[in-house]
Amino acid sequence: MAPEPPLLTMSGITKSFPGVRALDGVDLQVQAGEVHCLLGQNGAGKSTLIKVLAGAHQPDDGEITWRGERTVLKSPIAAMRLGIATIYQELDLVEGLSVAENVHLGHEPTAAGFVVKGREAKASTVALLKRLGHAEIDPGTLVGDLSAAHQQIVSMARALSHEVRLIVMDEPSAALDPDEVDNLFRIVGDLTADGVAVVYISHRLEEIRRIGDRVTVLKDGRAVAGGLPAKETPTRDVVALMTGRNVEYVFPDRPVEPPVTEPVLKVRGLAREGEFEPLDLELRPGEIVGLAGLVGSGRSEILETIYGARKSTAGQVVVDGQTLKPGSVRAAVRAGLGLAPEERKAQALLMLESVTNNVSVSSMSRFSRGGWLDRGAERKAAQTATRELSLRPDNPTAPVRTLSGGNQQKAVLARWLLRGCRVLLLDEPTRGVDIGARAELYSVIRRLADEGLAVLLVSSEVPEVLGLADRVLVLREGRVVHTAPARDLDEHRVLDLVLEGSPAS
Amino acid sequence: MPEITSRRGLLFGAAALSTGALITGCTSNEPKDEGSDDKDQPVADDKPGKQVTIGFAGPQADHGWLNAINDNAKERAKKYSDVTLESTEGSNDTAAQIGQVETLINKKVDVLVILPADGKALTQVGLKAMKAGIPVVNLDRVFATPQAYRCWIGGDNYGMGLSAGHYIGEKLKGKKNAKVIELAGLDNLELTKQRTKGFDDALKNYSNIEKVARQAADFTVESGQSKMSQLLQAQKNFDALWNHDDDQGVGALRAIKQAGRDDFLMVGGAGALSAFQAIESDDSVLKATVLYPPTMAASAIDLARALGQGKGISGMAEFEIPSFVTCYSAVVDKENVDKYMSTGFK
Amino acid sequence: MTQPASPPRPAASKSRPADGPSPLRSVAARVDVRTLSLLGVLAALILIGGITQPDSFLDTDNVQLILTQASVIGVVTVGMTFVIISGGIDLSVGAIVALASVWATTVATQEYGFAGILFTAVIVGMACGLVNGVLIAYGRMVPFIATLAMLASGRGLALQITDGKTQMVTVDGVLKLGERDSYILGIPPLVLVFAAVTVIGWLLLNRTTFGRRSVAVGGNAEAARLAGIDVRRQRLYLYLLSGLCCGIAAFLLIVLSGSGQNTNGNLYELDAIAAAIIGGTLLSGGRGTITGSVLGVLIFMTIQNIFALNNLETATQQIAKGAIIVAAVLVQRRTASTT
Repeated sequence: MAPEPPLLTMSGITKSFPGVRALDGVDLQVQAGEVHCLLGQNGAGKSTLIKVLAGAHQPDDGEITWRGERTVLKSPIAAMRLGIATIYQELDLVEGLSVAENVHLGHEPTAAGFVVKGREAKASTVALLKRLGHAEIDPGTLVGDLSAAHQQIVSMARALSHEVRLIVMDEPSAALDPDEVDNLFRIVGDLTADGVAVVYISHRLEEIRRIGDRVTVLKDGRAVAGGLPAKETPTRDVVALMTGRNVEYVFPDRPVEPPVTEPVLKVRGLAREGEFEPLDLELRPGEIVGLAGLVGSGRSEILETIYGARKSTAGQVVVDGQTLKPGSVRAAVRAGLGLAPEERKAQALLMLESVTNNVSVSSMSRFSRGGWLDRGAERKAAQTATRELSLRPDNPTAPVRTLSGGNQQKAVLARWLLRGCRVLLLDEPTRGVDIGARAELYSVIRRLADEGLAVLLVSSEVPEVLGLADRVLVLREGRVVHTAPARDLDEHRVLDLVLEGSPAS
Repeated sequence: MPEITSRRGLLFGAAALSTGALITGCTSNEPKDEGSDDKDQPVADDKPGKQVTIGFAGPQADHGWLNAINDNAKERAKKYSDVTLESTEGSNDTAAQIGQVETLINKKVDVLVILPADGKALTQVGLKAMKAGIPVVNLDRVFATPQAYRCWIGGDNYGMGLSAGHYIGEKLKGKKNAKVIELAGLDNLELTKQRTKGFDDALKNYSNIEKVARQAADFTVESGQSKMSQLLQAQKNFDALWNHDDDQGVGALRAIKQAGRDDFLMVGGAGALSAFQAIESDDSVLKATVLYPPTMAASAIDLARALGQGKGISGMAEFEIPSFVTCYSAVVDKENVDKYMSTGFK
Repeated sequence: MTQPASPPRPAASKSRPADGPSPLRSVAARVDVRTLSLLGVLAALILIGGITQPDSFLDTDNVQLILTQASVIGVVTVGMTFVIISGGIDLSVGAIVALASVWATTVATQEYGFAGILFTAVIVGMACGLVNGVLIAYGRMVPFIATLAMLASGRGLALQITDGKTQMVTVDGVLKLGERDSYILGIPPLVLVFAAVTVIGWLLLNRTTFGRRSVAVGGNAEAARLAGIDVRRQRLYLYLLSGLCCGIAAFLLIVLSGSGQNTNGNLYELDAIAAAIIGGTLLSGGRGTITGSVLGVLIFMTIQNIFALNNLETATQQIAKGAIIVAAVLVQRRTASTT
């Protein structure tokens, strides 16, 4: 441990959102001039923690000490004034403004308080870009015309335009190719040599090995390890820390006999350029197949392409021997596919409407003659479906927005149940669903499979995939790297596969 | 829509009322009387004289009256073998019209006749033409300064109100507690205010008459029908109605028919053909209309020709044409409708 | 990790009777707070009209008058309500009414008599709606821009047809329809058409798959697409419907005014949008009622009627109309935030 006092100490940081305790007494210590890595699975609390650090969230409890003094980060501006800059994963640049204007946005050099000194802003932007090794970026270019990598450089220049002592980088390498990553690491090295501290968030263990000094591991809102040496700690230990579970989910039993029927869904060489590589997949009635992978591994894209919501660039989707028209949701729905998308509110639900209307929306023609709806029959059928899934409250006229996350998901499932669909595509089915309600949802999904549905499941929660699916496909960067029955896999092995692409030693 | 935006219009309006009678070309399509006393005065007449090229720039003809303005100008020019008319596409866009006038200046026409889309906005280009030595005849919508034209000729909105008011006043003479209502045009326009002012001023001469209601339509048939039907509902008994505009009058007459009312006298405004026909057949409440004559465009061509030939006007003592001509707002009723029928616009 | 869990039992046995809400509740659900507040506003206006002009406001003639005046813009508003509910906007309604009304009153059309005029008005309206729909649904144009373009070209075409002249109707049957002799049991035929369009519109919105799909597209187009609805075709139909309503309205206007003029339908787009918004239709789509929109139209027409009967000046009328729009939208926001 360095002898000087830490630059930043966060202790006992707690932050709750309705229904979720995102941070639960997290400690974090960062020294000047170090690269401090934050590790953790999706939902472990990393983003909440850096938002607290950026002044965007106020902690419910806990203390923050900055350069030996207790402080409160009231707002993003307050954090910036102290010298804390954050580069978010989703870049927060204004595409219609130039590079120089973006770099100085909010603190433009001015004369008489309001006249922007354009030349001065440009000159200092040029200096910053040079320092970042990207002198070729013209400060007058519109940010919207730049590549993702260059936008990231601009974002960094913006952070450095303040007098900065700590930079938080949230998955900065996600959008970069290897050369650009090298440049990024060189910049990080320069910064730390100047005494600037970097809090670095990444999923890629090999990056952490290359540039990290120390590692803090977050898990379910707690710091399960703080200040581990980044280069020496064995991968196995890091993975164990990331996955060691406090909450055990309850999963329903798998059927004893694996189904031997003909596949209902056959995917042959399906691909979308730039998103995922040719994929082969067969799905039998009664079977649940899981797709495991990180954000950006192409999982959701695969589901949406099978469903026709995205148009494939190669390959076929065959349902019951019939090849689906690529890029046609209607063809997929007619053939018996149903999708419960990841963004339930944005992609599946009609938030202003009732449960019944949400459930019946895909089967309206069944309750209509010449376009005329038989609302009694509609409500009865919808209610049968929602009751089968124990959707609560059992009130068909309740607006769907008043339902809990788990019940909203059931409304989406009921939609496909009512439609009589044969293949259910589930994208993150338990996102936004309370821990307690998950078990029930799992048993619903299994029961639907037992009744003859084929289910394709995507989840970023490895235990969920392992616990629920019969067979698992492990994805890494758009490619299936491993296929195995779920019972032959465990969480460590899957994490090794998704993080490193090959089984760790 | 016809419009006078300058106060000069009002000031000169009264004076011009008296001269208006002399300038017959203003209200009539009849050829001028052959001058018998023009031996020592170079005055314009129908005989071919020096060749004159007249540039004509008007607004887009999206209203029957404006359409009639264009037709009158063209017909008149055709009549003279010594006149060549360079006419532009009508435009309601000020910038476009400025461009059109500038083109005419560059073509070096002899005289310009301009009915501006907006008088104030086209003043500069009027000035430019005058400075280039091309005299301008400003038609109806007046420029911001008299320097921008050699001669202004236009209608008399205040006078319309006066004529309508006096006509109604005379018709209701002797009737006790007579009630009058007014269906005005688009209230956003100054000309509507001027018409109403003239109407009110005229009615002041008749102590037995009271104006009990006034609602504004917007020169469209639809609004005329709508506002009139409400006025009829509001006023179960009245003796006379003045409607500012014969176009909206089509709607007003429809409303009157629908309400089954015939217990009052109606006077129109502007001089549409349909109004003249109704007056002639005398089977509706419409008994008269006060003119805002589109023949002023024909007169503008006469004036421009006289200017181009350096002559004065027949029947007047001056060697030059006048600088300001306000057309009289004549009352057309069953007695004289024959004379005006050919000037009615559709 | 795989531990036994008993699947949850369906909760059917313990819940309320399966035959749905009681009749009382269903009435309460149908007449929602917003509709009640609109009825309240209308009642207040009627009170004001009755007090200020007891002789002329509260008689049958005036009721007939208000309803007749409301008919033309009312039919347009029904179509507009569908479009707004689906998350779109139709700025071209006034222009379509103008174009349809002048096309249907040309000398050539009038030779075909009553049927010719009616047919032409409806077909021209639908054709314009079809163009809007194709541009928006398949040309991926923003509704605001596509219908703005239709507004401009529709008005231009109407001007070209008429040359700025008023086209008088000479077909007796059409003229008669707008006169007192044609009233059926004291109800003007125009009002009957308006009522029929309202009822059909209500049924279409509340009782058919078409209505349900319109609401779904407006509430969440992406969700509707992923639920298997053909969003583009639905959009096409919606603008076609709006065009049809404009065609019907154009015919009503021809009957009412006995003429066709290119200035017809002036600012209908604003009046129809305003009436729909006051009636509780969300400008962002996904919610709206025909009842509300029709009440919105009636409120506007009653206000205008009261203004005219009291002989208010134009300026006062305009200021008051603006104030009422603001007030209605504020009330709507308040209702929305409390639910």
